[in-house]
Amino acid sequence: MNKLSPVFKDDVKRALGDATLKLAIDRTTVTAEAKRAAALADYPQFAAARRRGTAIKEHVVENLGHYLEQFERNAVASGAVVHWAADAEDACQIVIRLCRAAGATHATRSKSMLGEEIGLPHALEAAGIERVETDLAEHIIQLAGETPSHIIWPALHKTREQVSALFKQHHADPHQTEDVGAMVESARRQLRTRFLTAEVGISGANFLLADSGAVCTVTNEGNAELTTTPPRVHIVTAGIEKLVPSLPHAWTLLRLLVRSATGADLTQYTTFHTGPKRQGDRDGPQEFHIVLVDNGRTRMLRDGLREMLRCIRCGACMNHCVVFRQIGGHAYGATYPGPMGAVLTPALEGIEKARDLPHACTLNGRCQEVCPVSIPLPTLLRGWRDKGWREGLVPQTVRSSLWAWRFLAERPALYRMGTAIAVRAMRLFRRGGWIGRMPLAGSWTRYRDLPAPPGQTFMQQLGDRNAPK
Amino acid sequence: MPDHAPARPRVALFVTCLADTIRPRLGFAALQLLEAAGCDVEIPRAQTCCGQPAFNSGDTAGGAALARRVIAAFEGYEYIVTPSGSCAGMIRAHYVEALADDPAWLPRAKALAARTHELLSFLVDIRGWRPEGVALPATATYHDSCSGLRELGILQQPRALLREVEGLQMRPLTGNDVCCGFGGTFCIKYPAIADAIVGEKAAAIEATGADLVLGGDLGCLMNMAGALHRRGSRVRAFHAAEILAGMGGGPAIGEEA
Amino acid sequence: MTARDAILSAIAATLGPRPAASAIDAEAQALLLDLDEVRPALPPGALPDAFAARATSAKVGATLERIGALTELPARVAAYLDSHGLPAALALQQEPPLLALDWSAFTLRDTALPNEAAALGLARHGIAETGSLVFHSGPDTAVLGHFLPLHHIAVLHARDVVAHLEDYAPPPATLPRNLNLITGASGTTDIEGSYVRGAHGPRHLHIVLVGG
Repeated sequence: MNKLSPVFKDDVKRALGDATLKLAIDRTTVTAEAKRAAALADYPQFAAARRRGTAIKEHVVENLGHYLEQFERNAVASGAVVHWAADAEDACQIVIRLCRAAGATHATRSKSMLGEEIGLPHALEAAGIERVETDLAEHIIQLAGETPSHIIWPALHKTREQVSALFKQHHADPHQTEDVGAMVESARRQLRTRFLTAEVGISGANFLLADSGAVCTVTNEGNAELTTTPPRVHIVTAGIEKLVPSLPHAWTLLRLLVRSATGADLTQYTTFHTGPKRQGDRDGPQEFHIVLVDNGRTRMLRDGLREMLRCIRCGACMNHCVVFRQIGGHAYGATYPGPMGAVLTPALEGIEKARDLPHACTLNGRCQEVCPVSIPLPTLLRGWRDKGWREGLVPQTVRSSLWAWRFLAERPALYRMGTAIAVRAMRLFRRGGWIGRMPLAGSWTRYRDLPAPPGQTFMQQLGDRNAPK
Repeated sequence: MPDHAPARPRVALFVTCLADTIRPRLGFAALQLLEAAGCDVEIPRAQTCCGQPAFNSGDTAGGAALARRVIAAFEGYEYIVTPSGSCAGMIRAHYVEALADDPAWLPRAKALAARTHELLSFLVDIRGWRPEGVALPATATYHDSCSGLRELGILQQPRALLREVEGLQMRPLTGNDVCCGFGGTFCIKYPAIADAIVGEKAAAIEATGADLVLGGDLGCLMNMAGALHRRGSRVRAFHAAEILAGMGGGPAIGEEA
Repeated sequence: MTARDAILSAIAATLGPRPAASAIDAEAQALLLDLDEVRPALPPGALPDAFAARATSAKVGATLERIGALTELPARVAAYLDSHGLPAALALQQEPPLLALDWSAFTLRDTALPNEAAALGLARHGIAETGSLVFHSGPDTAVLGHFLPLHHIAVLHARDVVAHLEDYAPPPATLPRNLNLITGASGTTDIEGSYVRGAHGPRHLHIVLVGG
């Protein structure tokens, strides 16, 4: 029964055996859960705001073409250059071309999950452009040569000792004491000149405002503004689903996003970037480029995954997921972990490659409950299971077992006989009222005992009682 | 009793495959409670499985096939009641999904869904019933199964019923609404992850110091009880319906020798 | 076919013919009605007081003092810098009301240095709901002046405090190059969840609220 793809199975095993990882996961997710709950306790209008935010995002998705064109028109009018990329490779090529045109030797980056998704770090390196991650967690994992393990706290899996060692190895003027404050100051020193000397700054976008062509970034560190103001060129990489109609619509979504992610009302820095530096501005980039990326989103729109396009990347689903809480982000083997990752990864990489992720879920529904835009994650995951079944990706052992069960279940007389025999057979393996080991039940009994059935099924014991008249 | 409840409704009991095979006394407890609540209970002999294993494995056609059988067997009754939030949820919330492309059966699925109830919520919300004269001096903690909680809104009803059991002291379970890791086929496909999840659940149960863990779904209860027993815990597990039916003095799950 | 064409035609193929733009706009506008249903209520009392309470709350963590008139500002800033063991040196944003004050006791710069100790600027608005300050980039205001210094001192007139985020609603065509909404000082929990201020941006946000 246990025919998982070898990579996922191994990654899960490794994660489950990593006690340090578990401490880190718990610290992050338990805190996030508590902070979100506290924020909601202070915001009785949350449920109504959630309905409104859901409606706003639904409205945008239903009118995506309209809003994309409106955004482009207004962005261009404000002096931005808008580029369109059908897929990841396109998007990276556009960014590389712009970096080369700017003569960039190094480019600073503020956090963009979309950038990770399209493989921009690798593309920049391959093009010989030094990539300088400025978000502290992204900086840490860049030094470690790793990928993010959470969309809000990418370095949650690193211990302070590991961070300390990385900084001592790579920083020009590292911390002298082993406290986190000193380490953060070391990063601040290390990155300050990089901010100010980069020819190109690359950011993501939390929202794209259609009526103004503005791009919204939210950070707690202030690195988005330090990344995008000093360089001559600011490049935004953004998924096409990031649109909202206007600034007031963004406020509703920001109220949901930040509380769901960290429990605050707003991040420290919420900035709207509209076009390049203007006549008389004291600072700002000379060029402002926005790369609108499809990379599977129009396919998701077409193929019954429309609701997933509402996602505002808050991370609440993974913070509340019992599976994520055991295996962490890396075990998902892709850019996006947790429930949203289990829906997105098959869409971005194909169900064949990502066949395990939709099944590594109990369908308990907590993710949908905490999603600020009401994405029906369990329904979408079951949809992937359905697709995987129809494409023959389910292991033969599972198919056979389910076929046998269905065969019996469609034949009540046979079912009655089969279950009566099975419960007698099971009793052969019991010790007291429990079964500790039994053929065909290895997956269960390896980890827990199985209650031994009594000698007769309910239907046998019922006899003629309460028979239908 | 709510005004709309008929005098002696004709109720069909859907006992569930797990109760039928592993815990028959739950079926008898459900029967007893429904009769005590003034229902005329019939148990259609054609019943087998609600189709959830197939449906949740992605075999929508298989789930739909079993859904049709359940609809055919049960649609003649005023109510269909089952001692499982997960099976009730399957019928109420998912039969219409499984039969979405079947114009002949979809209306019948919708009709059946509207008349299908999980047992504990049926007793409280529809029959307005409370147990009388049931005593069990013990401490217990309650696990809220995910389907019952999130698909059917079952939270207050089990507690309202158990409150009436004399001598039974309920202790709150930290993370009562957190999944136990059963997830139907999930615990078979991903047993190591399921074990890690139920390990935390078992620790939370033991931390309450309660004698008993109660719930409304056998799958969850078997998972938790099996884990607790493997870990050497003295906590014993019952379905809440068994306690309400006065069977709390009998063998707990895993004690039927 | 360009990527743009491919994307827009794929969308059109799925969504079908578009409603009139006016209908789409009307639907979008309808989603902005009854805002009090979807946003937090403010505590009763004057807006500047609500703003001050929010800005100095643990969640936001700014420090704040109130002065009667803008002329008192230089003395208060001197006191602030002194209390932090800093000399009377400042990067001053070039807003005319600030330039008109008496900074004779200070060493001034008009542009923040990379490792500026303190910079001061005039906020356009305060938002009471969140304790946020609103800055616009422009000829008088450098964006980096809010981000480079260790101590960011922000001046705000009480009359410029609005209640909710939606009350600060610049028409889309009037947006500056950078609209910065600042809610507290820079911080991070990226290392073992431990909260540290001054990740890249300022470690301290000090608000001087004028009047009210």
